[in-house]
Amino acid sequence: MKMSTKKTTKTPEEGLWGRGGGRLAVRDLALIGVMVAVIEVSKAALAFLPNIELTSFWIILFTLFFGWRIVLVVPAFILIEGAVYGFGLWWVMYLYAWPLLALLAWIFRKRESVWFWSILSGAFGLSFGLLCALPYVVIGTTEGGLGGGLHAGFTWWVAGIPWDIAHAVGNFVLMRVLYRPVRGAVRRVEHAKGGL
Amino acid sequence: MENESKKNNGKVILGVGILAAAIVLLAVLYSVFREKPVEGTKSITIQVAGPEEEKTEYALKTDAEYLRQAMEEAEGLTFSGQESEYGMMVDTVNGLTADYNADGAYWSFYVNGEYCNNGIDSQPVADGDTFSIVYTIE
Repeated sequence: MKMSTKKTTKTPEEGLWGRGGGRLAVRDLALIGVMVAVIEVSKAALAFLPNIELTSFWIILFTLFFGWRIVLVVPAFILIEGAVYGFGLWWVMYLYAWPLLALLAWIFRKRESVWFWSILSGAFGLSFGLLCALPYVVIGTTEGGLGGGLHAGFTWWVAGIPWDIAHAVGNFVLMRVLYRPVRGAVRRVEHAKGGL
Repeated sequence: MENESKKNNGKVILGVGILAAAIVLLAVLYSVFREKPVEGTKSITIQVAGPEEEKTEYALKTDAEYLRQAMEEAEGLTFSGQESEYGMMVDTVNGLTADYNADGAYWSFYVNGEYCNNGIDSQPVADGDTFSIVYTIE
């Protein structure tokens, strides 16, 4: 019996973003687990510094390095956060804020400039409060019409601006300092293993 | 090549500048629109009389329910003491300690001229009240 063998060659880009066979390999699962663990551990380690976090940094870098796997990493991270801290209103904000960051990183995945990613991460930190104010607009609107909703959201957002500024500066500095060393380390591993 | 590098530097400066401008804009928004603390609705006076009967007066507006919180809000007034099941037993006011065991000295509290039967944690505060904290020797 003659067996036909089909050879497929993937470009690095397809390897990152095209799943090909559609099945999750054990290595992918392990990698996703490690990514979620890295995010959670970093978050816990920096929890004592309000709004200084590495979650943004890792979500951006994992999107750039490990491509489609971020689609599973972010929901896993969000679910764990909800399970640990309770599924409150803040959790609803997580449902769209972190996926949005991953989406932005995916859109700009071709960019390599450390400054670009530092600015993007800083801008995300600065707009985090604005993003998180949306549920308050919705709740306020159901209770007091659109005007009431916008007022509620605006008041909530303004009250948190100092924290948003800290978030922006923290995100900017962390990305500026860590992007190159971490990218270098991942590329060395990638090179040694012949692709992740 | 050099032009490319200059172009990139320009973009970086522009990007960082926009981010910095956005931060400044938000800081301005915060200072204009943040919720300002509302002044208290009750006007009260706290007088402190030392051993030589020298008096210091503190007039303040407060929402405090009890005297302790009002004393904490009075700018310039400092006090400390032992915490007990009845609240704080004040022994030091404005740095002056009354030592009952040494010379029978203690800080007595009056509300509108009447001797105060409550501790500072349970003495209610009403609009127009005058509290006196008097260094007393038995």
